[in-house]
Order: sequence, then C-alpha cells, then structure tokens
Amino acid sequence: MLDVKDLEVSYGAIRALHGISFTVEEGEIVTLIGGNGAGKSTTLRTISGLLRPTRGRLLFRGQDLAGMPPHRIVAVGISQVPEGRRVFPLMTVLENLELGAYQRRDRTGINADLEGVFTKFPRLAERKNQLAGTLSGGEQQMLAMGRALMARPQLMLMDEPSMGLAPMLVKAIFETIVEINRQGTTILLVEQNARMALSIANRGYVLETGEVALAGPAKELASNPEVRRAYLGE
Amino acid sequence: MIFELIVQQLVNGLTLGSTYALIALGYTMVYGIITLINFAHGEIYMVGAFVGLYLVTAMQWNLLAAMAGAMAFCMVMGIVIERVAYRPLRRSTRLSALISAIGVSIFLYSLMLLIRGAQPTRFPKIFPDRMLSLGVAEISLLQLFILAVSALLMIGLHYLVQKTRVGKAMRATSQDYDTAALMGIDVNQIISYTFAIGSSLAAAGGVLVGMYFNAVFPLMGYQAGLKAFAAAVLGGIGSIPGAMLGGVLLGVLEMLGVAIGLSSYRNAIAFTILILVLLIRPTGLMGRQIQRKV
Ligand SMILES: Nc1ncnc2c1ncn2[C@@H]1O[C@H](COP(=O)(O)OP(=O)(O)OP(=O)(O)O)[C@@H](O)[C@H]1O
Ligand SMILES: [Mg+2]
Repeated sequence: MLDVKDLEVSYGAIRALHGISFTVEEGEIVTLIGGNGAGKSTTLRTISGLLRPTRGRLLFRGQDLAGMPPHRIVAVGISQVPEGRRVFPLMTVLENLELGAYQRRDRTGINADLEGVFTKFPRLAERKNQLAGTLSGGEQQMLAMGRALMARPQLMLMDEPSMGLAPMLVKAIFETIVEINRQGTTILLVEQNARMALSIANRGYVLETGEVALAGPAKELASNPEVRRAYLGE
Repeated sequence: MIFELIVQQLVNGLTLGSTYALIALGYTMVYGIITLINFAHGEIYMVGAFVGLYLVTAMQWNLLAAMAGAMAFCMVMGIVIERVAYRPLRRSTRLSALISAIGVSIFLYSLMLLIRGAQPTRFPKIFPDRMLSLGVAEISLLQLFILAVSALLMIGLHYLVQKTRVGKAMRATSQDYDTAALMGIDVNQIISYTFAIGSSLAAAGGVLVGMYFNAVFPLMGYQAGLKAFAAAVLGGIGSIPGAMLGGVLLGVLEMLGVAIGLSSYRNAIAFTILILVLLIRPTGLMGRQIQRKV
C-alpha cells in the first residue's frame, strides 16, 4: 500500500533522514520505533507532504506522493494524528471533528462517521460544544484520533498517541487503535512506547538517527536482545 | 451642554470608529493567518476610495454598486499582492516580507500620485445635509449610512468566519497552519481568501471615509492605515472581534479627545494608545492567550 524507498529529508543543512526504506501493506499495523530525534516525526511529516524529500520515493498504491501538497495527500486517503495532538484549541470539539472531514461533501456519510466517533469516544459527545483547548490531554488525544478518522482514511499515520498519558489511558488508546484497524484502516504507528506498539503491530522498524537499524515481524523484534535492551528497558 | 457635546461626539466617534474597524479587520485577519503586518493595507483602502469615486463620477454608478465595484476591485488586488509580493517570501524571514509590504505600499501610493496628483478630489454629494435628531444629539444621513454599512459588513464577516466551511478553515489555519494542512485544507487558497476579504473591507472603508471627509487623495491610506493598525493592536492583533472593538473604541476616544479640546492632537491620540497598549498589555483587549495542555 505504502512503499517508501531511500527517503532522504533535510532541515536546511541538517539531514534528518539518511535514505530510509520501509513498506506498509493493506490492513496492517506497522510501527516505527526509536528514541528522541531518530526521525520518526520527520518520516510522517514527509509522507503527509509537510516536508519535501531531497531524494527517494513515496509510493501510495502506485501513486508518487513526493511533491504533492498536504491537502492532496489527504484526498488520496492518508490522514495523520500529529505528535502532541495539535487540536485547534479555540474551536469546539464538533468543529474540530468537522475539520477532519474538510474534503468531504457527503453530508450523510459525514454525519454517520460523526456518530461513529461519538460511539467510540463517548467523552467527546458529552463535550461536543466545549473548546478543544479546555480538554484534558487524554480527551485531546481522542479528539485528534476522531478528527483523523473523519477523513475516512485508507491509511492513518499516528505520531506517539501515548505521549504523556497515564498507563490506563495508554491501554485504552491502544485498544482503540486495534479497533480502528479491525474496521479496515491501515495504520502506521510511531511510538517511543515500544512495548505497547510491538504488542499490537504486525511488523516494526527500528529507526536510529535517520536510518533503519532493524526490521521484522513485531514478535521477533520484541524478542530481539538488542531491542529488549535499548527500547524495552531490560 | 457638556453632556450633549459628549453624546454628539460619541455619535461622531462611533461613525469614525466603525470605519477604523473595517480597515483594522484586514490587518488582524492577515496577521492572524501569516503573522505579517500588511503594510500595504492602507494603500489598498486608498485605492478602494479612488475606484469608488471613479465609478460614481465617471461611470455614473449608484453608490451601492460603486462600493461593490470598489470591493471587488480590491479583492482581486489583495489576492494579486499576496501572490506576487508575499507568497514567494513565505519561507524567508518575517523581515523580508515586511520590507516587501512596505515596497508594495510605496508603489501603490506613487502610482496614484502619478495618476491623480496629490490634491484631494471631492466626493460628489449623495446624501442631503439633513440631520436627524436623536434627542440630545444629531446624526446625519451620511453617518447613518456609514454605521449601517459597517455594521452589515461586520455581521456578514462574523457569520462567514463562524459558520461557513471557509470561515472554519480560516480559523483553523490561523490557529495551527501545519495541522490545518493535515485536515486537507488548501492553506494557500485560504490565505488568498483572507487577503480578498480584508482588502474588500478596506475598500468599503475607503469609499465611506472618502464621502465622510469629502476628500480622496493618495496619502489618505497612510494615516488611516496607521490608525487602523493601532486599533487592531488595541483590540489584540489576530482577533477579529478585537479589531471591531478596537476600531470603534479608538474612534470614540479620538472624538472625545477633540471634545475636551485636544483637537490639534487628535492624530496623536491613536499613537499614544498604541504605545500604551504595547507597553502595558501587548496582547490587546481580546488578544489570544492560547494554552495547550500536553
Ligand atoms: N524544524 C526542524 N528544524 C531543524 N531540525 C529539526 C526540525 N525538526 C526536527 N529536526 C531534527 O531532525 C531530527 C529528527 O527529528 P524528529 O522530530 O523526526 O525525531 P523523532 O524521532 O520524532 O523524535 P521524538 O521521539 O523526540 O519526537 C532531530 O535531530 C531533530 O533535531
Ligand atoms: Mg517525534
């Protein structure tokens, strides 16, 4: 579904990705794990079109995404839950969700999906008319996920959805990710919480300073001694 | 006697202030979305006044059609200015964009000076001189017209920004540019719309002020632009209700200043307020205080 080849991205003179390659197949949960500054967010921001690669290819169902503006990338079926949630703080929960469906015109479909989001996250339904900036961190994460779902994406990119959340909430968020995946959305999940990410993913890639250091099925990575030492704290 | 004078100056101040508000909205909307002080905004207002004047005199259009024409003209001009002078500099420093804006401002001013000369042109009299009595004060038909048009435009803007799809996209883009793009919003298009709306409001303000002071001249945008900028800062730059409030407040303060005998300092009032706001409360009256929970 997504085929990233030899991707190289720089911020000015600083190169953040040194030619990384990975794939995501239809229906999978794939995780990118790695420490601070490894290049995980850079990868997702490049797929979404917020950054331009200096080299390499980004194929989504055979279509080259490189050079496409972000709104076109949403139109081909990729939405993102950005790092730090990034809800629109001065807009209501409902307005945030409607913005997720910005490209869509099918009013009935949008309303149905809105109901779906409210069923998945009842807390959001209760706070429909509240400003998003006044939500708790966990609620903002739910909103960011609901908002990304409103685009009805084929592929959902998630950047550290567990960041800063209490363990109970982290568990709930990961259960929701599995549920979203079961309902037919392919997921590329970036995480520092390698244990949780590997427990729900089909496959994983370990990023280290802008390069893919290890790759494989999630179970194998979880039992790899190097991964256990560096990312699972054993 | 004093009371009546004050009420009268309140009426005059509201009229003047509503035109400041129309201009201030353009500054605040553009700043809200790309954090640029559009220094050419005052000149867009001036060109709007000239276009309105031209349509009324040379083309014999009626006033409302001429205002609509001036608004449409400046709408296109605003879009073109953004495309040519600001967009190419989007990724460079704020300073280069600011210098480019000053360049556009000087260009438009010089162009109108070349075409029309520095002398003010009178605006043909459209409203009879009749005054309507409000009990303690009086209001002219022209003042009434200015207040009504400004109010309608601001209500229209409020509706657009709060309720429509484009308005929501504008708010989202001003709150978080990158995330707006992740929603599928074509941010360049939204920036164009913002310039279009701000510029057309300035054009409406230009025609109204041209009639009010019965003078249209190339330098008119300079002073009005600075005052409207002061109004936008007073209200809280980036805030749309703030620009409305700041404009009206500034107009009222200015006319009250005149009432207490400060008429030779009336232009200084705006800048004194600007400096005080910047010193005491840089976010203005309704400036945004975004707090993000992590
Ligand atoms: N806007 C920027 N300008 C310059 N360098 C940047 C910028 N954003 C990221 N970088 C650099 O690029 C590298 C990769 O950053 P990135 O944000 O992709 O890391 P990450 O894996 O997401 O880290 P984290 O887990 O902390 O979010 C880092 O060295 C970082 O300092
Ligand atoms: Mg990151």
